[in-house]
Amino acid sequence: MAKIERTQKLFLKSLKEKFQGQDVQSETTEFYKFNGYHQSPRKEEFVKASRAVEMDRGISMYDPVRCHLGGIPLGQRQLMTYEVSGTGVFVEGDDLHFVNNSAMQQFWDDIRRTVIVNMDLAHQTLQKRLGKEVTPETINEYLHVLNHAMPGAAVVQEHMVETHPGLVDDCYVKVFTGDQELADDLEPQFVLDVEKLFPAKQAEALSAAVGKSLWQAIHIPTTVSRTCDGGTTSRWSAMQIGMSFIGAYRMCAGEAAVADLSYAAKHAGVIQMASHLPARRARGPNEPGGLGFGLFSDIIQANRKYPNDPAKASLEVVGAGTMLFDQIWLGSYMSGGVGFTQYATAAYTDNILDEYTYYGMDYIKDKYKVDWRNPSPDDKVKPTYDVVNDMATEVAINAMEQYEQFPTLMEDHFGGSQRAGVIAAACGLTCSIGTGNSNAGLNGWYLSMLLHKDGWSRLGFFGYDLQDQCGSANSLSIRGDEGAIGEVRGPNYPNYAMNVGHQGEYAAIVGGAHYGRGDAWCFDPRVAICFADPALKFDFAEPRREFAKGAIREFMPAGERSLIIPAR
Amino acid sequence: MNEVKRNMAYKPQFGPGTSNVAANRRKQMDPNQKLEKMRDVTDEDIVLILGHRAPGAAYPTSHPPLAEQQEPDCPIRKIVTPTEGAKAGDRVRYIQFTDSMFFAPCHPYQRSYTECYRFRGIDPGTLSGRQIVECRERDLEKYSKELIETELLDPARTGIRGATVHGHSLRLAENGMMFDMLQRSVLGEDGIVRYVKNQIGEPLDRAVAVGKPLDEKWLKAHTTIFHSLGGTAYRDDKEYVEYVQRIHTLRTKYGFLPKEA
Repeated sequence: MAKIERTQKLFLKSLKEKFQGQDVQSETTEFYKFNGYHQSPRKEEFVKASRAVEMDRGISMYDPVRCHLGGIPLGQRQLMTYEVSGTGVFVEGDDLHFVNNSAMQQFWDDIRRTVIVNMDLAHQTLQKRLGKEVTPETINEYLHVLNHAMPGAAVVQEHMVETHPGLVDDCYVKVFTGDQELADDLEPQFVLDVEKLFPAKQAEALSAAVGKSLWQAIHIPTTVSRTCDGGTTSRWSAMQIGMSFIGAYRMCAGEAAVADLSYAAKHAGVIQMASHLPARRARGPNEPGGLGFGLFSDIIQANRKYPNDPAKASLEVVGAGTMLFDQIWLGSYMSGGVGFTQYATAAYTDNILDEYTYYGMDYIKDKYKVDWRNPSPDDKVKPTYDVVNDMATEVAINAMEQYEQFPTLMEDHFGGSQRAGVIAAACGLTCSIGTGNSNAGLNGWYLSMLLHKDGWSRLGFFGYDLQDQCGSANSLSIRGDEGAIGEVRGPNYPNYAMNVGHQGEYAAIVGGAHYGRGDAWCFDPRVAICFADPALKFDFAEPRREFAKGAIREFMPAGERSLIIPAR
Repeated sequence: MNEVKRNMAYKPQFGPGTSNVAANRRKQMDPNQKLEKMRDVTDEDIVLILGHRAPGAAYPTSHPPLAEQQEPDCPIRKIVTPTEGAKAGDRVRYIQFTDSMFFAPCHPYQRSYTECYRFRGIDPGTLSGRQIVECRERDLEKYSKELIETELLDPARTGIRGATVHGHSLRLAENGMMFDMLQRSVLGEDGIVRYVKNQIGEPLDRAVAVGKPLDEKWLKAHTTIFHSLGGTAYRDDKEYVEYVQRIHTLRTKYGFLPKEA
């Protein structure tokens, strides 16, 4: 552990914008003079909107003066704006609640409505069992039929109800393969071309991993998965796949071979984005609690777009992960209420975690000669206990010192849970990118928590007493009952299932290990290819930028309903 | 605090470290060391700040006095002497503190450790922006007096806050007071801090004085938080940092049965 010089502070611009006209290193300021919530244009808008709603429905609603602490409204201190990290866009905190942010909604919609289905099993059935010919031409015809059927149109029966294309315009199917010759023979509109979408080195690795298999990347309508649930996705897609095979290959609708096609589409050849949870959590597949960290890091595409910046790639996973796992999964599915947003946004606003993480990058370059700008497994440091302790200690203490030396920074992250998560994330990312080992990253996270707790005699809320003070024991060393490496852990891992401010960062720590090595994927190459699709509503290479667009109301989501409701 | 049994089977070390922060921590935790009394607050004033009962009112009870109810034949009950509050059947109530990170004398985990060493029959809860301790009401009043009158509290940088605790990490007000949305305590022109609301934020019929804020020099000499800006930097207490690293490594290697090979 030895402090290194780093003159650039990535958070300074944000602090100066947030605390305009103030010395950001001053220990004092003024309070109780800001006129409460009136200092926030967004909350003023809420009041106005609420008055209109009340007049319309005759039931009281948002009343921040009367209903907050018996007459003392929010805003006795300065209500801050936030810069979405890495974007330069300043937003109000309210705009980062997923209810107020259509990009955040679409992010989760696009994952939940996705399944990947193998075509080889079906083709074998068609060829070997039914003696039918399968060629690029028949596959193209099938994909035409499927892109007609998947949104909710009929392909076989007469006199059927169908869905309005204008309401399901986000639904389609593409295919991908590692066989470039086959890919070139298929209609470009239907193909996720690995060679064109990925940097050459990644494309080569992905194509080799997928081989000659052919896979369908399926996105059912947003409206369907919203009205139903994640378990619907594979069922909806399998039904339309089955009907499309029948139509495209002129099969008998009732013949026994259809069962093979259905079984392949529903079970044998399907990749859900998230696994089924235990019954007590009562969710189907494709719900956030079952979304493993390795797979999540494949969904996020920043390492495809920024292959030479594993820190940025990891930070994008943090932003996306805290939004999904903290704000949506733990904050709403599991807990209810709105408070989790304040925890989660700390990790992807004001470039604070970014600054701490890049300090870690400078440190591993300076001390361990890790050329992190040219990711490779060759220069990764062997993850010994001493190495993890050294990296995590320096990054943790540096981060604590930044909070101490910039009191406005401490005021920005005014909750201990925010600081604990952010400091530990920087430590975890440094260790995982530096070693290429996700469990070393997790181990660095837990040392950070212990250091933080002892340095400031405080940590986070009660939950941190559980998860973070026993985490040393379930990372870097593996025992039979706690034996998962980071890639296959997820939000429902025993110790992880209840604590806000952790899961998104864990996912990034897992991703960072692979981004630091220059790997083309973390857990599943097929998922990495599927979400490289530029036709998706949400750009998974830039989740923080997309969230910022949602916050300033410039993101156009799917799930259109104006066609079927009265004009306003 | 005098009820703590001193002849323990091991000698408590109260934590590592060579810095004055570490020494302050050990002093606060060690029940054999007397905490410095900094101010006088009457018993009635303590009751007012707590806000659980009116001064002079009887203690509400959650069960009859132990002497009046049938106790099961329980070996543990024969070993553990009940506190006065438990004997009387008092309900369990609380006091909760917010400690400014700008050199307040005590901080959340430090409070919990200190209370566990010095008090009996308590249930502390530790968060980042607040620390609560719950116990029988008459025991609470006794413990609260010690927590408020001694060096564990600074009137400006320690808040007694039942709810809406926001402030521990914020910059200080120009007059040196920690932010409190409810302004339960205010600094008078005479330099005295007075509670005008109880810990839950209900206005008091009369203000309760808790004395003058301690000066910066005293705070930095007595604080239990590491702080690189004008205080003791954490990285400078190498023994402390190495201790935490060691605990972490042992837990990583051996789980919660740490044995060095």
